[in-house]
Amino acid sequence: MSAPIREKTATTANPVVGGAPTASISTAATGHRFSLRRFWPQYVAIAPFYVLFLVFGLFPIVFSIVLSFTDWDGVGSPAFVGLAQYQYLLTDPRFWNAVSNTFIIWIISTVPMLFLALVLAFLLHGNIRAKGFYRVAFFIPNVTSMVAMAIVFGSVFSDGFGLVNAALRAVGADPVGWLSSYWGIKVTIAVMVIWRWTGYNAIIYLAGLQSISTELYDAAKVDGANTWQIFTRITIPMLRPVILFTVITSTIGGLGLFTEPQILFNGQAVGGPDEAGMTIVLYQYDQAFNQFDFGYGSAIAWVLFFFSVVFAIINWRLLSERDGLKTPRRLRAPRTVTTSAKGPRA
Amino acid sequence: MTAATHSLSRRGFLAGAGALGALATTALLAGCSTGTAISKDPDELVLWYWNRSLDPKFLKQAAGGISGHEPMRLRPDLIGGASYDTKFRTALAGNAFIPDVLMVNSNCWLYFPDEDLFTDFDPSATEKSAYYDWKLSLGRTPSGRQCFWPVDTGPTGFFYNQDVLQKADLPTDPDEVSAAIQTWADFRTFGKQIKQKTGAATIITATQLFNQFVSASPTRYFDRDDQPLYHHDDSSIRKAWENAVESIHAGITGNLQSGTDQNAGWVAGRVAGQIEGAWWTQIIHDTAPDLSGKWRIARQPERPGNSGGSFLAVPKTSKDPEAAVAFAKWITGADVQSHTYNDIQLFPSTPASFENGIMRNPGDFFGDQNPLDFFSKAAPEVPVTYISNSERFIGAFATEITNVESGGKDPERAWQDAIDQTDRVLAKRGVSA
Repeated sequence: MSAPIREKTATTANPVVGGAPTASISTAATGHRFSLRRFWPQYVAIAPFYVLFLVFGLFPIVFSIVLSFTDWDGVGSPAFVGLAQYQYLLTDPRFWNAVSNTFIIWIISTVPMLFLALVLAFLLHGNIRAKGFYRVAFFIPNVTSMVAMAIVFGSVFSDGFGLVNAALRAVGADPVGWLSSYWGIKVTIAVMVIWRWTGYNAIIYLAGLQSISTELYDAAKVDGANTWQIFTRITIPMLRPVILFTVITSTIGGLGLFTEPQILFNGQAVGGPDEAGMTIVLYQYDQAFNQFDFGYGSAIAWVLFFFSVVFAIINWRLLSERDGLKTPRRLRAPRTVTTSAKGPRA
Repeated sequence: MTAATHSLSRRGFLAGAGALGALATTALLAGCSTGTAISKDPDELVLWYWNRSLDPKFLKQAAGGISGHEPMRLRPDLIGGASYDTKFRTALAGNAFIPDVLMVNSNCWLYFPDEDLFTDFDPSATEKSAYYDWKLSLGRTPSGRQCFWPVDTGPTGFFYNQDVLQKADLPTDPDEVSAAIQTWADFRTFGKQIKQKTGAATIITATQLFNQFVSASPTRYFDRDDQPLYHHDDSSIRKAWENAVESIHAGITGNLQSGTDQNAGWVAGRVAGQIEGAWWTQIIHDTAPDLSGKWRIARQPERPGNSGGSFLAVPKTSKDPEAAVAFAKWITGADVQSHTYNDIQLFPSTPASFENGIMRNPGDFFGDQNPLDFFSKAAPEVPVTYISNSERFIGAFATEITNVESGGKDPERAWQDAIDQTDRVLAKRGVSA
């Protein structure tokens, strides 16, 4: 940027930023109007995002709050019903089934996924050949079309004719109802989630690993630490913020699980047999767009939002408390390598 | 580069971006404030349809002009992808871009509560007699308005694979099979023998059996006063349920819940048959082309029903409802439907379509049996049924019968759960006490 421009911006910007609290109301008003006129191109330049956000983001969110207090089939006019949708929701066994499905699938997918991702990242971080190839290979599932993958998974896990059951039969085991039994369906969906997101999380962990100073490892080795000690005492603590990030994103993703069960049971009863693959978002979608009960769909959405907030807080507490992410003073207090990884860096 | 030109180019960029943004905003606002009609051309009627729901040959003809209503002509808009109903309902809700005439699938009862938004076709007695009465009644709202006009139909039959029946030492000739499965109890005995001798199921799922039983029953879930019938022990729903449960216990349903498994089942001969509408001839033809000549169709137990089949509707907002209705009646005329059958295998809703000599047998997939013959004899036997406004709330029955089949749920508990769930939904949606 050229000097004259910067000077002008500085002088015109001052009354706006600093002037309002000190100057009289009239000066502030004129200053404000002046700044709008002065900076209109900038405002217009950022407008597209805000316009789109207002139309497709904020409006639907606010409207869904309103809708959750009404009964509306999407065509006539909404009728106000107060808290009736929420009351129904509390006693709706299908909703609570969806809640328990969501949490079960979330746990049996997230725990192995993050563990696998960490192990993969640790291996990729080491000195191995064709690192770039592996990194790309592990990330590819994340950018593969889920629709295509659901068809592949549907065939692989097919009850009667699938590859997995054929393998089970070959070793003399009983075939499993991967797409028809209560646990089979959940495991199949969890496997799809793991397949898709492990590489993504591994790449994030890898970035975290690369930011850990090698001095720490050297110091640990000098002190006689073995690989396991280095992993648990240096790598894991240093990765804590990164792990927190992945746990939070996985939680949000897990609570919003929709695509996999939706496509896996496409053309069948929604959520599959016994609604064993019915997740909260799938139930919300089904109520709104198949049953055309938009009021109830909106109520489900807001209860899901409530769950998400609760879990975000729990996650944050669990993972941030012990190491004190928000307490910078600890960074200044040096600690030994074996008790805390943050110390020597400060 | 000097500072001046540099700053100018930056300003220029911003101004350009600003102008673009302003342009986009005004375009957006203009789009919102004016012109919510689907077509600005006063002579153009817009039709919404999905692929293979109407014969493109005749759509093209109507695009040149709707006979008797010139200069009105048709603009057929092919609506692709899923959620056809959602797209149309969105247009209805926004009261914008509503087509002048549209195809509606067999679930036209979805629109019964909002029948005020549709034009009554109000057919004359002669017009009525040209169509199957059961098909007309499926498109008639509870208040008696014919808002949905018959397009194609799906009279049902029992499709079966001769080879599997032969292995089970059962008759393979359609007439003999029909004679062997006159009642549902016969059908179960028949299926049990297939299971014992070959290990094959007779029907893909209990849900399929349940649904086809209901489709072939003169009464459904509600009576003409919209009161639930399923509470009664002698209701069609209860009978369909008991038949499905007994069939599960007899081992004749395959518990093949996914489309992949079902297709593989038919292709591999692990499922002997299927009860489905006439349009399924094309589906099995495409699914198992290698089994050409092996499949036949027999009468299903008791009587045939109707599965699927779509309608035409004219929204109240239509630019020219008279021309739209005339178009609908023309494209569903007996001769046009005969040609449509030859072109895209839609089974006609007009008995006269079979008598004009236009329709051709679609090939030898069914060996020496002519499926056209079979279904034209089945169609007049389909019972007339009444579809209530509440038909959209009965999904729990199908879900629960699946639970019995795939999860081994206790049938009586599943039945009670289905009833409780349906009653709860009805109470919630304010349509029943």
